[in-house]
Amino acid sequence: MSPALETDTPDEPNYDDAFDAIVVGAGLAGSAAALTMADRGLEVLVIERGSSPGAKNVFGGVLYTPTIRELTDFEDAPLERYVAERRFSMLSDEDETAVSLRPGEWHREPHNDSYTVLRGEFDEWFAEQAVDAGATLVTETTVTGLVRERGRIVGVETDRPDGTIRAPYVVLAEGGNSLVSEGANLKETERRENVAVAAKEVLEFPERDGVIEDRFRLVDDAGVSYHYFGEGAVGDAFGGGFIYTNEDTVSVGVAYRIEDAVAADQSPEETLNAFKTHPAVAPLVRNARTVEYSAKTIPEGGAESIPDLVHDGAAIVGDAAGLVLNNGVHLEGTNMAVESGYHAGNAIARAADRDRTDADALRAYPDALEESFVVQNLERYAWMMDAVEADRDLLFEDLPRAFADAGTEYFRIDRDPKEVHAENAKHAVLDALGGWSGAAKLAFRYRKMVT
Amino acid sequence: MSVQPKTPEITNDSMEDRLYTVKYDDPGDSHLDVKVPDICADCETNDCVSVCPANVWREGDDGVPHIAYENCLECSSCRFACPYDNVVWEYPETGSGVTFKHG
Ligand SMILES: Cc1cc2nc3c(=O)[nH]c(=O)nc-3n(C[C@H](O)[C@H](O)[C@H](O)COP(=O)(O)OP(=O)(O)OC[C@H]3O[C@@H](n4cnc5c(N)ncnc54)[C@H](O)[C@@H]3O)c2cc1C
Ligand code: SF4
Ligand code: SF4
Repeated sequence: MSPALETDTPDEPNYDDAFDAIVVGAGLAGSAAALTMADRGLEVLVIERGSSPGAKNVFGGVLYTPTIRELTDFEDAPLERYVAERRFSMLSDEDETAVSLRPGEWHREPHNDSYTVLRGEFDEWFAEQAVDAGATLVTETTVTGLVRERGRIVGVETDRPDGTIRAPYVVLAEGGNSLVSEGANLKETERRENVAVAAKEVLEFPERDGVIEDRFRLVDDAGVSYHYFGEGAVGDAFGGGFIYTNEDTVSVGVAYRIEDAVAADQSPEETLNAFKTHPAVAPLVRNARTVEYSAKTIPEGGAESIPDLVHDGAAIVGDAAGLVLNNGVHLEGTNMAVESGYHAGNAIARAADRDRTDADALRAYPDALEESFVVQNLERYAWMMDAVEADRDLLFEDLPRAFADAGTEYFRIDRDPKEVHAENAKHAVLDALGGWSGAAKLAFRYRKMVT
Repeated sequence: MSVQPKTPEITNDSMEDRLYTVKYDDPGDSHLDVKVPDICADCETNDCVSVCPANVWREGDDGVPHIAYENCLECSSCRFACPYDNVVWEYPETGSGVTFKHG
């Protein structure tokens, strides 16, 4: 850990009004907000409950970097690999049907702004950028509540002795398990239909040399992001499995809705084990050793779940504000966390210039977020959840099997002419879809994925 | 010639072996509990048990779950899962709980 990040243990933690803003949580959203405010001359205190930033964090992981790259010098960031291939697989219980993309452009900088990272290292580095810009970081300190005066948020309570700290602005960047925001009635607890449970392992290969490169067909810093859905990934649950390659480890996990997890007859850990033994996945993780098992929740409520983003004296950013896009094809939260932290930080700096702390003065934040890709993307896919719910059996069970059957039929080698196989293949898919009209309806329902 | 491909060897270590759990100090008091044990005693779903990825919640004899909180990964799933909002979920005392090296 860098000296700047060493836990500051003040004997008399009397920081009252020493800071312009307090950030709760040194995740991606919190550090982006802190960095932005510090750059604009504000005195910022970041409070993180882990022993260092990232010590409590879990994600899949691909970090999407368009904004982070603008905010700081990205040269020595601890990146693992850039994403050179994205692959989407439908798994039935024993088949895989995959679509894979390896565009040449992704090999060139900035590599489509998609890098695998490990949060233990990355979050610490990013927090350090905020510290370098002038922010103060305290770790091993949990914010337990907000201080209010006449309706206005004027500081935080922490679990340190005499742990109340006052400041004109508080940024809530505490992630999806947002006990502080909920405790202060700034948002409601998310319903379990809108939250996913994720179990993840980081795997290491004892025979190390070139294993990852060979198995995933890679050279140098190139990496892959593989996504799996369907019965063979997480049963009939809404969610999927994933594999991401790090420099010399591989991240493997499953994520699916809590609603489905409680209905399933296996635990998330068992689901992950089953995923790892699927015939399409097993060869990729063969002979690997687990070096870390972790779990986390993902808020997936989308646009409808975004709470009021600003209050008198406070702003909510990142996962705490439900800013995650998961439509089955895109799983993005890191870019949204950073973007929201940046806009919130800017809005606070502007309000501070005018000596105002009321919610109206902070409206620049939600306004900017609405104009940005964050809210636009979330709104664009707001219809998805209901559609997928209605088509659940078709999407997760019938289609993966039908596509596998169609492929098997199409390429079948026997003494029938190709015409027969092509016809059988067509029927395998059409039957699953309910004929041409069923196919047309499905295409219409999901047209927004491509148009 | 054998036609059936063999599933390659996969290590699925036991939960205890797999947890990279640095308890960087004494875990202190449990950060998990149930608010009203009577609700659990009558609860048939035990959703807290089925959702937990770390086998922390276990069905108890009297219907009230036994909570092996020191294994908790702090994912918060049980908090969202309980249909009766009956889970007490606090952050573990500062200096205790799970630390992830990779995340
Ligand atoms: C399994 C999984 C896979 C994912 N995959 C991807 C992916 O591949 N790509 C992608 O873009 N997104 C992915 N996401 C989503 C992404 O991880 C999140 O959107 C992003 O991390 C949110 O950042 P954040 O800063 O808002 O919250 P977090 O990263 O959760 O940070 C919150 C911080 O606040 C701290 N904290 C919380 N409460 C307190 C408190 N009371 N006091 C002090 N500190 C506190 C925490 O310790 C933590 O450091 C995935 C998520 C999961 C769970
Ligand atoms: S689901 Fe809730 S009510 Fe039921 S046993 Fe678990 S904690 Fe108790
Ligand atoms: S927070 Fe997660 S790991 Fe901990 S007890 Fe609840 S479900 Fe289990």
